[in-house]
Amino acid sequence: MNAKKYGKIAYDGLITNNATFKLVLGTCATLAMSTSAINSFGMGLSVTVVLLLSNVLISLLRKVIPNTVRIPAFVVIIATMVTLLRMVLDKFIPDLYDAMGVFLPLIVVNCVILGRAEAFASKHPVLDSAIDGIATGLGLTFALTFIGIIREFLGSGSFFGIQVMDFKIGFFTNSAGAFFVYGICIALFVFVTNKMEQARRVKKMRTLRMPAGDGPLPPVSETTKEGN
Amino acid sequence: MTVKQFFKSNAFKSLAVLIAIVLVAGVLLAICNDIFFVSDEERFARSIAKIYGAEVETQEVALTDEQKSYNNGRVEEAYLVLDDGNYLLHTTGYGGYSGGSGTVTLWVVIGCETSADGMPTLTGIEKVVYDTNDGQTLISNFSNSYYHYFTSQNEAIAAGGYFTAIKNSSDALNNIVAGASQTSNAMVNAVNTALACFRNVISGGQA
Repeated sequence: MNAKKYGKIAYDGLITNNATFKLVLGTCATLAMSTSAINSFGMGLSVTVVLLLSNVLISLLRKVIPNTVRIPAFVVIIATMVTLLRMVLDKFIPDLYDAMGVFLPLIVVNCVILGRAEAFASKHPVLDSAIDGIATGLGLTFALTFIGIIREFLGSGSFFGIQVMDFKIGFFTNSAGAFFVYGICIALFVFVTNKMEQARRVKKMRTLRMPAGDGPLPPVSETTKEGN
Repeated sequence: MTVKQFFKSNAFKSLAVLIAIVLVAGVLLAICNDIFFVSDEERFARSIAKIYGAEVETQEVALTDEQKSYNNGRVEEAYLVLDDGNYLLHTTGYGGYSGGSGTVTLWVVIGCETSADGMPTLTGIEKVVYDTNDGQTLISNFSNSYYHYFTSQNEAIAAGGYFTAIKNSSDALNNIVAGASQTSNAMVNAVNTALACFRNVISGGQA
């Protein structure tokens, strides 16, 4: 039962409510940081760490924090986690710290984090919130890295910093290219997830309609007609 | 409302919880700041490792405030690299993004030879390494090739040229990233400040 529940939370964070491709949250950082795959990956992991820590803390304190001051309290907790992350990155991964520049402190106001705090962590137990934080963060990391790989490959001819092609299309490294790739990725993601959902529904319908011990299933179209 | 009622009210509870969270966060950050503090020496050693890939011996060049200040930038520090005789300048370029008040700070290695009269003569730019910025949201658009370009025009630089960041210019000393022209401007200003400092102060106006 619990495994199913945690699986659903994880699936929601990764696919159904993917912060970048489905909810279109944190767009500013997504567009700015996705010029290279490694920067996107670093940004995604940083947001994941902050999401995990803030979700756990907010979930722990959810019964202590009065409803009227919950937003300022969440912001203070998130800002503390981001400041902590900045210190750690500056100390141990200075290259990533430099590359992320102004977008690292801006994680504080990333609506993905405040959104999950408000919508999930403040209403659910610690373990559920932790899983939600990790899943949402990894979903965002996947999306950012995917956009980063495309933009870096087309814009600089490299893959994770390794030069693989001679050509460079400057359009993909600037803002218009970022919007273009982002839009295409959203369309692709929605198309694929819709197809998956459709296939899942058909499978479920066929399972429900299958009489016990009967022969092979009728084609999908016939099943649908029968249903109508 | 009596004092007793106030202490039992939601307002007091909200205030107390917020103050408690802020205090705990403050204490936590103060402790972490102490643990993860990066000293100036450590930052300098990091920069040297990034520039040279190894430890090198340096000697700081004493500059007055007047010698450090230029119209489009400022020299933070200047060092003579004892291993190769080049000069390493830490400069900040003005005129970046953020309403023109943004800055970019770079490390610029000025290649030089010692002339017959014992003064250093500029031969070109050996290396440009990014350090920090203030308010430059598109800093990740600047790839290694941008910084390498500064080292590819040494003939014009030795002849007294300065870099520019002008849109649609085909000038060989123009170094601009499309879509990030203001940050390019601050980058170019930082490099030009290093050149100006070397030419006017370090080489005594000889270069």
